[in-house]
Amino acid sequence: MGSKIVVCRCEDVTRADLEHSVARGYRDIEEVKRYTGFGTGPCQGKECLAVVATALAEITGEDPSFIAPFTSRPPLAPTPIKLLARDPAAHRFPDDPAEPVAAASEEET
Amino acid sequence: MQPGNDSDDDDDAGPDASGEFRVPAALRGGAALPERAEVVIIGAGVVGLSIAYHLAKRGMTDVVVVDRGYLAEGASGRNGGGVRQQWSTEINIRLMQESVALCRRFAVELGVNVWFRQGGYLFLARSAKEIARLEKNIALQNRCGVSTRMLSPQEAGEVVPEIDLTGIVGAAYNPTDGILFPWPFLWGYARQAIALGVKVLTHTPVRALTAQKPGFTVETDRGSIQARRVINACGSWSPSIAKMLGVELPTWPIRHEICSSEPLKPFLRPMVSELSSGLYCSQSMRGEIVGGVTVPGHGSTHAMGSTLEFLATYSRRLVKLMPRLGDVKILRQWAGPYDCSPDGNPILGEPPGVRDFYLACGFVGHGFMMAPIVGKLYGDWLTGGERHEIFDRYTLGRFTDGSAAHHEKEDFNIG
Amino acid sequence: MEGQTIRAFTSESVAAALVASGERVLSRSLKYHRPRTFFCMEGHCGGCLARIDGVPNLRACQTPCTTGTTIEGQNAYPSPEIDLFGAVDFLFPRGMDHHTLMTGSSILNNLASKVVRQLSGLGKLPATESHELPAVQLERVDVCVIGGGPAGLAAATAAASSGASTLLVDDQLRLGGSLLADPRLGVAVADARVAAAMAAGVRALPRSTAIAFFPEDAPEDGGVLAVATPDHLVRVVARRWVWATGGYAVNLLFADNDRPGVLAARGVGRMLVQHGIAAGERICVVVGKGMDDYANALAEALRGARVDVTTTSADQVERARGRSWVTAVELTSRRRLDCDVVAVAAMPAPASEGPRQQGCRTVLDPARGGFRVIVDRDGRTSTPDVFACGDVCGYVGPMAAATVGARVGGAAAEEALALARELGPIATTAARRGA
Repeated sequence: MGSKIVVCRCEDVTRADLEHSVARGYRDIEEVKRYTGFGTGPCQGKECLAVVATALAEITGEDPSFIAPFTSRPPLAPTPIKLLARDPAAHRFPDDPAEPVAAASEEET
Repeated sequence: MQPGNDSDDDDDAGPDASGEFRVPAALRGGAALPERAEVVIIGAGVVGLSIAYHLAKRGMTDVVVVDRGYLAEGASGRNGGGVRQQWSTEINIRLMQESVALCRRFAVELGVNVWFRQGGYLFLARSAKEIARLEKNIALQNRCGVSTRMLSPQEAGEVVPEIDLTGIVGAAYNPTDGILFPWPFLWGYARQAIALGVKVLTHTPVRALTAQKPGFTVETDRGSIQARRVINACGSWSPSIAKMLGVELPTWPIRHEICSSEPLKPFLRPMVSELSSGLYCSQSMRGEIVGGVTVPGHGSTHAMGSTLEFLATYSRRLVKLMPRLGDVKILRQWAGPYDCSPDGNPILGEPPGVRDFYLACGFVGHGFMMAPIVGKLYGDWLTGGERHEIFDRYTLGRFTDGSAAHHEKEDFNIG
Repeated sequence: MEGQTIRAFTSESVAAALVASGERVLSRSLKYHRPRTFFCMEGHCGGCLARIDGVPNLRACQTPCTTGTTIEGQNAYPSPEIDLFGAVDFLFPRGMDHHTLMTGSSILNNLASKVVRQLSGLGKLPATESHELPAVQLERVDVCVIGGGPAGLAAATAAASSGASTLLVDDQLRLGGSLLADPRLGVAVADARVAAAMAAGVRALPRSTAIAFFPEDAPEDGGVLAVATPDHLVRVVARRWVWATGGYAVNLLFADNDRPGVLAARGVGRMLVQHGIAAGERICVVVGKGMDDYANALAEALRGARVDVTTTSADQVERARGRSWVTAVELTSRRRLDCDVVAVAAMPAPASEGPRQQGCRTVLDPARGGFRVIVDRDGRTSTPDVFACGDVCGYVGPMAAATVGARVGGAAAEEALALARELGPIATTAARRGA
């Protein structure tokens, strides 16, 4: 098996990939995220964000306190579509059927 | 990333709006700021970079592209990657045929994978009125040589078996429409433009733009540039740049939210869209279901935060249309601005009375798919080649000289 | 797995049951098809995703075992243990930039696109349709505490004790957080603190994840926190928020650090303390900076469970050895430490993305684990109404977290109750359906 230092297991991003990204000019953490794909998998950066940001500080020689985290996007954990479908905020279109979704607004105790 | 009192900073791009997290020098890409340039393009989105690349390819390499943020920070990095030829006006259909042809060659021409996949676009109708609208468009598209056809609900179900056909009365399907992965488009244009001599400067916001005789002074956070010509390709931020020269643009930003699911094995071939709700979704090259929906009732804004209202509306419509997606998990949601124009069409060329200042904005959320061809046509024109009719048709002047009324309105802007 | 029957206690997670039964590799990674399995045992990493009862990409470590649960591996052929696509990893020993792969000719590029499309994705579409959609619940409270570990339990107990209606949101199978992974504390301590919280009037939402704070939804209430329980969504509106989400288990950087069997030390501790399972017979504990106390306590406890334990400091580790499971750690001195599990004690990374959604300032502080939330002595963040305590503010460990949590919970309750005196109490703390 190829030997790799993995910084993001979800997307198979290695430390060498970070160096490659910086060498190609993608140095902002948001650019590095987009170029390497780190932090875009099922864990959404929980395991890798701090590791990558710290490595990025080392690679670029930048003071860590100047490195911002990437935008924290909802949802913070993978969320099934069906759990969200009856939220009262959902917009109703004219062709929406009355059932079964309308039951969401009924009072239950 | 632009500090100041803008309300359009990303949801949490830094700890506060005071500029504390200004990107340090070591993290800024790009070359040093030159003193002068033949062309300064403001906005390193897909439109600006496409123009830069095509100018350079035709020998005009004294070009500087400046952007206030990182590459792909704006709408170009936030869209769903759809590329379709199903439009309601002939000019857009023809332009998009050209764009599709360019997309097919992009990976090899620019040396970067954009994962362009022609899985088709399937527009679902739930009423006779929607059918009529699709039929009218299909007739026009067929005249232009686009192979769109009307499908029965059963035929639509054969294309996407996961669709619950209850209430579906028909669908328009063009198998040669497609999707791509947006970010590499920017990298490809930027990289090749830079290789040809163009300078691309990210994290370089424009503070002032003043007309000189001749040319312009472009003042940025990193110094100023004398430019003979300036191109405004700032998408929904274009009005603030135009205003620096006293030019009022009639465009306005609308937030469009979008989300992405966990990666799944390939099952969904086309981009699926439902006319009644503006729902759309496709499966990306990574296997994620990427999509959005219309959330009406919101005014003009540059806010790019995410809402539960969007997430719930999207989920509700998607699980109704494809019940097997109920247990699929959303991984990430974000938003980007549509640059809306009064007639649904872009604004190009020079504004009345201002020479050497060019507009490339007002793409109503579809600038990404238009950029390949618009950049090419701009490149032709500004290097002394053919001046395509779009530069006469889609002028800013059309809104004031009454000519807008003579052109067809584009009414097939989705999402 | 596939076709096998596994005995398990019903309180265990699927992952814990698999470990105990010797089943190990669950899937293959997206790009190089490297073997993947559990790592953090806390439902945060993406390691242990499997298809469970027809639903793809579920975290095995957060799925309780019930009789008849079906678990299938993902993204591998013929099986996660022996996956033919693992060849990709050999073909690109130094990795590859997929952005520029095969862009030389259009024929190759079209072929590459087709192959990549077929290789993409992790799990397959769910087996069944969803027609029954669960209703959404609304909660209004004085204080909402997110995280049921040492800091959160202390904060919630303090808030409820001072009379504030208090909701505790926790994403684990069992309340207690890092207490349940620390042999110095353990199940009895965790249970006692949970009991104290309940006695004080705290209401808990276990197995529930705060998925996002939405400031624009319900602006009249200052925004809403969406919480996903296993079967429905809860909208939480609170007068004060306390983030006590702790830190995520992360890995250390050495070659092949993703090899199955390289586990978070806290995951190894959790299996031992919470589930009574020794993760291996020969465990090598790799000690990262600032983690000596925890690593030593874990090593001692493992030895007490008759595990053969070696410890080494992180900066001496060169690589992990082994194919589908780790067999040794190789040091920079070329010495090999044979083992069947590597327990990586890296400083946990503050779980600060929730506070960041509320606009709280953070700073990257590698010596404290990552992006820590900046707070004052009473846990006030840069955002009004939002507090934070414990490891989310930079690693302090479970003892210190409990102390600061109590203080911060009290401060948050005090502000919430002052508001209650002004505006009137929250009408009801009982669950109310719909809106």
